[in-house]
Amino acid sequence: MKKTLTAIIALLLSVLMLASCGAASGNTSSETQPSEPEQSTELGSTDVTITFWHSASDQAGVIMDEIVKSFNETNGKNITVNAVYQGQYSDATSLLQTMLSAKNYSDLPDIMQTDATGKVPYYNSGRALTIDDALSRGLIDSAYVGNFIPAALSNWKFSNVQLGVPFATSTTVTFYNKTLIDSMGWDHIPESLTDLTAIYNADPSIEKAALQAIPNTPSLANWLGQDGSYLVDQNNGTEGNATKLECIDNGALEKFLTVWKELYESGALLNEDTSKDTFIAGNIPFLITSSSNTAAIVSATEESFETGAMGMLKVDDSSAAGATVSGSCIVLFDSGDDLKIKASAEFLKYLTSDDVQAKFASGTGYIPGTYSSVDSAEYQKVIEEHPQYKAAYEQLMSTPENMKSVTVGPSADFYYAIIDSVSGMLSNNASVEDTVAGMNDQLTLLLEEYARNNS
Amino acid sequence: MIGSKRKSSDIIIEICAFALAVIVVFPVIYCIFAAFKTHSEFMSPALLPESFGNLNNFRNALSQAPLMRYMLNSFIVSFAGSLVRLVFSVLAAYVFAYFDFRGKNVVFFLLLGTMMMPGDILLSTNYSTVSHLGLLNTYTGICIVSFVSASQVFMLRQKFMTVPRSYIDSAKLDGCSDIGIVTKILIPISRSTLITLFTQSFLTLWNSYLWPLIITASKPEYRTIMVGITKLNSWEDSNYELVLAGVTISLIPSLILFVIMHNSFKKAQ
Repeated sequence: MKKTLTAIIALLLSVLMLASCGAASGNTSSETQPSEPEQSTELGSTDVTITFWHSASDQAGVIMDEIVKSFNETNGKNITVNAVYQGQYSDATSLLQTMLSAKNYSDLPDIMQTDATGKVPYYNSGRALTIDDALSRGLIDSAYVGNFIPAALSNWKFSNVQLGVPFATSTTVTFYNKTLIDSMGWDHIPESLTDLTAIYNADPSIEKAALQAIPNTPSLANWLGQDGSYLVDQNNGTEGNATKLECIDNGALEKFLTVWKELYESGALLNEDTSKDTFIAGNIPFLITSSSNTAAIVSATEESFETGAMGMLKVDDSSAAGATVSGSCIVLFDSGDDLKIKASAEFLKYLTSDDVQAKFASGTGYIPGTYSSVDSAEYQKVIEEHPQYKAAYEQLMSTPENMKSVTVGPSADFYYAIIDSVSGMLSNNASVEDTVAGMNDQLTLLLEEYARNNS
Repeated sequence: MIGSKRKSSDIIIEICAFALAVIVVFPVIYCIFAAFKTHSEFMSPALLPESFGNLNNFRNALSQAPLMRYMLNSFIVSFAGSLVRLVFSVLAAYVFAYFDFRGKNVVFFLLLGTMMMPGDILLSTNYSTVSHLGLLNTYTGICIVSFVSASQVFMLRQKFMTVPRSYIDSAKLDGCSDIGIVTKILIPISRSTLITLFTQSFLTLWNSYLWPLIITASKPEYRTIMVGITKLNSWEDSNYELVLAGVTISLIPSLILFVIMHNSFKKAQ
C-alpha cells in the first residue's frame, strides 16, 4: 500500500514537472518594453504567427473560427492567426488586467476583440497600438477609417483617442409580438413608455404586462440620452474619467424615474430582469434588448407568432429617438515586433472587410460596421428576408453622434447599483426624490473610490 | 410505545431527508433531461424530452468545443491537485497535531487565517508568482495554487488528535519513524476522512473556472471543462439545451467518482 502510494505520487509529480518543462519552454515572464521597430520587414518574406484573442462563442464562435481559417488559407502573406477564445468579454478583460498587473507583456495578444469593459484597461495598458497610432505609422489609411459608420466608430473612442474599430456593432431595439398585440385589440404599436402607460390606464382590465425590465447602465444611459442628458460627466466618461452624475441637476433622472414608476403603477411593467425566453414563449408583447439577439429571436419565433422590430421605446413623445451603440471592437497591441504589427493590421482589415462583416452580421444579428458592408448583396438579402434586421441599422443611422455609451471604471458595481436602486424604488414604493438622492450618493461614491484607488 | 414513537420520528426524518434529496438531485435530473430536448421542447414546461434518442445537443457540444480534451485536462488537474494537496495536508496536520515547537499556535492560526481570504483577491499575485516561476500554460501552473489547503490541514489535524496518543508513543518506542507513523497508523485510521477530503477537493478543482482560464491564455489546449462549457453559450443566443448537454458530459466523471467513493463518504460522516 505504502509502496503503491509512493509510486503514484512520484509518477504524478514527474508527469507534472515534465509537462510544465515542455510547455513552459519559451514562456517567460519578460518585462521587455516594446522597442521601436529596428528595420521594417516585409510581409510574405517570412512566416509570421500572430495571436488573436476573441470572445465569440456558440454560433458566433463557429463563424469566427471559419473567418480565421479562411484568412489563414487565403492571405498569401505567410500569416498564421492563432485564434484563442478567452471566455466572455469580462473574462478576457480580467485576463488582460491580470497580465498587465503582473507585467507579463510577453503573453499579451497581438490583436484582440473586446467590448466596453476592455476600453479603459486597454487605454491604460501601455501596450496599446491605437487606430490613431496605426494611421500615423501608415498601417491603415484614412479611406479605411472613413468607411466606418460614424456612430459605430465613435463608440470606440476614449479621451479623444480612437482605440479600435467596430467589429460587431449592436444597438438597443424593441421587439414586439404583433400577433399578441393584435389580439389585445390595440390600434397602434406604442412607441414610448408614456404611451404604454396611457393605454394601461385607459383600460384597467388588461391583465398581461407589456414589458419586463429593470434599467441598467446602458438602458438608463439610452433613456437619459433620448432626453439630451448624459448619465455621468465627461460625455458619459468617453472624454476622461467620470467624476459625478450629470443627470441630477438637469432633472433628467428624476423625469425618467417618474415615468418608470407611473408605468409600473399602471400595470404595464413587470419589475423583473428582461427575459428573452418570456418573450419567445409569447407571454409578453415587448422585449427591449440588444439587436445582436435579432437572429436568435427571429429564428425562435418565426413559427409561433409575427415578430416586429423597431427602435428603442422612447421615454415620451418629446424624447428623441435612438440608443447608444454597443457591441465589440478590434484593438491592436504594440508587441515591438514590426512584422507582427503589420500582420495584425492585415488581419484587422480582413476582419472589417465587406464579406466578413456581412457574414458575421447575417449569422448573428449584429450590424455591419462599414457603409460598404451594409450595402453588400449578402447583407441586403438578409434585410429583405428578415425586415427585423433593418430596425437596428435605421436606429444606428439616426442616433445623434453625441449619444455615447457609458464608460466608467467601476462598471460592474455601477451596473448593479443602478439595477438595485431602480428595482428597489418600485418594490419598496420609495419616492422618486429619495431614489434620485440615493443613486446620486451611491454612484458618486463608486466613482470617487475608483478614482482614489487608481490615482 | 417507545417503538412506535421511534417509528414516527423515523418517518418524519425520512420524509425530510427525501425532500432534501429531491431538492438537491432535481437540478441534476433536469439538466440531464433537458440535454435531450430540442430548442422548442426546452421552451415548454414539460420535464421529460419527447425522445431520449435526440443526441444532437451532445454532437453539437462536442463539435463546438473540444470537450473530451478539456475533460482529460480537468481530470489530470483535479486528480493530481487533490492528491498532492492531500499529501501536504497529511504531513502538515501531523506536525500540528503531534509536534511541539515555538510559535506553533501562531503559525497554525496564520494558516487558518488564509481561509478568510477570497480567492479572487489572490488572483493577480498568484498569477504573478506562477508567471515568474515559468509555469504559465502548464498543468502544474493550474494545480500549484491548490496544493495547500488550510481547511484540509485543519480537518486532518482534528482527526489525528482523536487518535490516542499512546498509539503514537508505542510506535515510537518500537522504533517507528514519523513517516512510518503517518503511513502505518494515521492514514489507515483516517482512511474515510482522507477519501472524503479527496472527493471534495476533486469536485472543487473540477468546477474551477477563472484560474484555469487565466493561466492557460496562450495554450487553450490546456484548458479545463468549465472553460469549454462557456464556449457553448453566448450573449447573442442562449442555447441552454446545448450548455446543459455540455454540463451533462462534464458531470460523468464526478458522478462516477461519487458512486465509487460514496461508501467511504458515508463512513466519514
